[in-house]
Amino acid sequence: MKALLFFAPLFKPHALRLILALVLSLITLAAGTALLGVSGWFLTATALTAAGLSFNLFAPSSAVRGFSFIRILSRYFEKLVGHDATLKLLSDLRRWLFSALFPRLPLTDRSLRHGDLVSRLTADIDTLDTAFLLAVGPLAAALVLGIAVSTGLFLVLPAAAWIYLATIGTAVILIPLLLARVTNRIGGQCVEASADLRAQVLDSVAGHEDIVVFGQAGFITRRFEAATATLARLRRRQDLATSVAAAVVQALTAIALLFIVVTGLDALGRGSIDGPILAAIVFAALGSFEATAVIVRSIGNLGTALASAERLRQIATAPITVRDPARPEPFPSDGTIVFEDVSFAYPSGAPVLSGLNLTIEPGEHIAISGASGVGKSSLLHLLLRLDDPQAGAIRIGGKDIRDLAQAELHAHIALLSQQSPVFLDTIRNNLLIAAPDASDGELFAALGHARLEASVRGLPLGLDTVVGETGATLSVGQVRRLCLARTLLSPAPVVLLDEPTSGLDRETELAFLIDIPKVLAGRTVILATHAQLPEDTPLRRMALRGGVLIEDRS
Amino acid sequence: MTATPDSASSGTNPRKLMGLRRLAGPALIIAIAAPLVSGALLLVYAALLARTLGLSIEDGAPLSAVLPLIGIMVLIALIRALLGIVGEHAGAVGAERIKENLRNRLFGHLLAQRHPLGLKPASGAIGAALMEQVDGLENFFARYIPAMVAAAILPVAFAVALFPVDWIVALLFLITAPLIPLFMALAGWGAQAATDRQATALSRLSAYFADRLRGLLTLKLFGRADDATRDVYAASEDLRRRTQSVLRLAFLSSAVLEFFAALGIAGVALYVGLTYLGFLGINPGLTLASGMFALIMAPEVYAPLRQLAAHYHDRAAARSALAEIDAIVADIDHVSVPDRSEPAYGTLRAMPVHVQGLTVSTIDETRILDQLDLTIAAGESVAIMGPSGSGKSTLVRAIARLLPYEGTIDLDGKPLPDWDEAHLRGAVAFIAQKPRIFVGTIADNIALANPTAPPEAIRLAAEEAGVADFVNALPEGLQTIVGEGGYGLSGGQAQRIGLARLYLTDPALIILDEPTAQLDPATEDQALDALFRFGEGRTMIVVTHSATVARRAGTVLRMAGGRLLPTPHRAPAQPGKKEHRA
Repeated sequence: MKALLFFAPLFKPHALRLILALVLSLITLAAGTALLGVSGWFLTATALTAAGLSFNLFAPSSAVRGFSFIRILSRYFEKLVGHDATLKLLSDLRRWLFSALFPRLPLTDRSLRHGDLVSRLTADIDTLDTAFLLAVGPLAAALVLGIAVSTGLFLVLPAAAWIYLATIGTAVILIPLLLARVTNRIGGQCVEASADLRAQVLDSVAGHEDIVVFGQAGFITRRFEAATATLARLRRRQDLATSVAAAVVQALTAIALLFIVVTGLDALGRGSIDGPILAAIVFAALGSFEATAVIVRSIGNLGTALASAERLRQIATAPITVRDPARPEPFPSDGTIVFEDVSFAYPSGAPVLSGLNLTIEPGEHIAISGASGVGKSSLLHLLLRLDDPQAGAIRIGGKDIRDLAQAELHAHIALLSQQSPVFLDTIRNNLLIAAPDASDGELFAALGHARLEASVRGLPLGLDTVVGETGATLSVGQVRRLCLARTLLSPAPVVLLDEPTSGLDRETELAFLIDIPKVLAGRTVILATHAQLPEDTPLRRMALRGGVLIEDRS
Repeated sequence: MTATPDSASSGTNPRKLMGLRRLAGPALIIAIAAPLVSGALLLVYAALLARTLGLSIEDGAPLSAVLPLIGIMVLIALIRALLGIVGEHAGAVGAERIKENLRNRLFGHLLAQRHPLGLKPASGAIGAALMEQVDGLENFFARYIPAMVAAAILPVAFAVALFPVDWIVALLFLITAPLIPLFMALAGWGAQAATDRQATALSRLSAYFADRLRGLLTLKLFGRADDATRDVYAASEDLRRRTQSVLRLAFLSSAVLEFFAALGIAGVALYVGLTYLGFLGINPGLTLASGMFALIMAPEVYAPLRQLAAHYHDRAAARSALAEIDAIVADIDHVSVPDRSEPAYGTLRAMPVHVQGLTVSTIDETRILDQLDLTIAAGESVAIMGPSGSGKSTLVRAIARLLPYEGTIDLDGKPLPDWDEAHLRGAVAFIAQKPRIFVGTIADNIALANPTAPPEAIRLAAEEAGVADFVNALPEGLQTIVGEGGYGLSGGQAQRIGLARLYLTDPALIILDEPTAQLDPATEDQALDALFRFGEGRTMIVVTHSATVARRAGTVLRMAGGRLLPTPHRAPAQPGKKEHRA
């Protein structure tokens, strides 16, 4: 429940709609109860009356019709308003979660893996709608109605009132609580099992060829089948718990009704109530128990909703490893970058950089070489504050980057990372991410620098060609060049290139490396690469070794 | 890729959906039977309750006289509750069986498929198809079908049972009840089209999310966080509007039903009341017990229909879900089954490769390879070089039987299509340009090549590929968990894990696509030493940009204009000397 309360602020803007839905559902239930009660009273009264034709027919018959129509209308609008509010809430939740994610990037927790994240954003958010629409709403309505009917009973048939109250209390509070306890656990396991299954699907789609070439389709399928069996077993257990609870509520209300009949008949025999009132009580109780039936079903799903809420909460409360300063310093006009005794280690404790020093003048082009995994990427990431060093400082124009606003820092520095993705969108939109106002001419110029212009011009749809999920309509090398073009297009005065030429053939690589000084003239460039640099390129060469940088004169 | 409303509302889809019922076994029959038995018991219960009230109120019978009746009612209430559990659980069991079976079949299909060049399905949408869309079928089987049978039988049965009590009431029920499904069907037609649109929107939203999540960091660094968030909100609101239009219609059909149910109850109450008062002379002998019986049964006559209406949406949802599965994954009646045989290792030491007239086109019919010829002798090592995008990867993927092609490819003198999967996969090892890193430990990832490999073999493979160099620095070593797609690994580290897989196999033909593109020269040298040591005596094809790699090969070929041209051979590399790439 704590996890659900965490989302309470998001419910606030929709409180009015949700309350309206609640009121409407209450009206629906009350009208149903009244309809049956009045009908029972009317029937019995007419059967017993000696008044014959003088019996006042008008009031009860119009009440019966009136309650019927109130019930139809209120139910229709209750559903409409309730669903609208819930769906609006879901949109808000998605937006909120997305914006909560950005400052937490990159996520340090590896268990928040991609496939899992997707299910968090789609499935988990969707299951949350059951929390209010299907559980909280009917629960509240049934409780209010139960108290109202009990109050009425206390006035006419006190003995039955106790039975009724106890039944409502058990059916609406006690059993749902017990059920919630049971399904909470199973629901959590269900969500985990689903996420695992989804990750296996995503892995198998993206890793299709690896599985096929190693002849492991059998192994992977068996593993998947074990996972579907586990999920099915959990779901069956969850359903069984709900069915049992529903049956208990059903039996309980039926027996309670009979007890009310017995106490009513007893009272009738003693003459403390008359026949029509007894009939009204029995039928009204019958009608009001309708409210209890839906609750158990929704509570059965509540476990899943709670587990989902908990997982969403985990994301939203994940530590922000890199924070903006309370009062950011104005961004310096001097672009000198200085690494000052910078030390950095992975969370696992493996040291990467130890007391690294480096000064880069504005407009300087510098190449950093070094073995794979030695920390070249980490060095670039530190400059963007994707992580903070454990010791030392990085300064731009003399100011510690921890005192600057991250947004300004990111606008100042563009990065081509090793994992840069191509989005499922047109080539144009993929490029515009870096510079939303760029003209087609500028786009083609950037594509040209990345040696991709001819290929794009050769496509029937040119810039409007949609590139696939992982850029599948382009070769790996072309995807890389598209990402490179995007980075080059960015107006940032500092450009970080992490292995920009991986996947390029040597000629293209050479041509690109020779071009860099010209294309990026005036901008600061840090190039992390293990490519052999052309001898005559005017680059300052450094090598990263043992956590420090040394001038590379080879 | 997207479902058109036609595909969902065409006649084959409902038939296909019903066809899935077979997968559930006898469970669904119990799920259908239980509500019917329960309905029969309800009739007895209502009659007893009415009789109890009638006896006491009208005839003034003492409480003791009706206690036995109440005892029977308690018993019936308990049995009905039990029947509820049995029926529902049977429905859940049946539905879960169908879902499990369908998921397994679809997953098998995913693995069995070979995609033509240029077609790569969106994994997010496929994930949604196997998870949400398959879940979307559940209520159709667990709830809708039992509700449909109950709605077809129970109202009529109740009405017939009321005939001896009062034929007017019975007739009222008989006439109003069958009208209800008619009106609901009218309302439902519009709902189906709207539901289809919504299902499409949902799967687009899933694909969209998956894609944007993959590039979240890139969006952040380009300062596009706010735009991306706004786009997500817009996509979600679009889905809401579509859903809302589905629901408006769905609720309308249930309102129609409520209207008739209310009309029925109110009608019975008024009719019985007027009869008691003597306004109507049709059935003057109607007792209070009989009138009560009619009134208690009145809501129950409409209850199965209401139940059906509540699950009516499930049918439309299931059809749409099936249409989405059909569009994104496969026609469920024609799924491919993957070959599950284990690779047969060690049947051959080396094999000749003979390629003639090989032509490979993308789905939009651009020729990537055009009439290509290639002959490699058994035990020979060949490097294939050439500009990026010239078709080098396509060539080796075709040889590894990963692509549809035209022309002939013979391995060991046998045409590629004649190879059975077990022998082919045992004889050919292929390491892709960007090996996929799966969720799991590093050891699991290496063992993908051979899941039965003992830990010692995995450790040795890790050493050969240079994985040990970075793994030893990790506190959990080979048991370190890496994320999907290699999250937490550098490109070079992921590549070395991919290479390590090779050492758990025993192939006659080794195909390597850019095996060292992401490695620095020192690591590259080590990796190449191991690779060529392992390749000694085996046939080897290496696609590469790197002259360092090419120099180690026996023959170097150049890919240009869809053809292979021999290039002058160079002297083998001097071990230890730093190589310059040409």
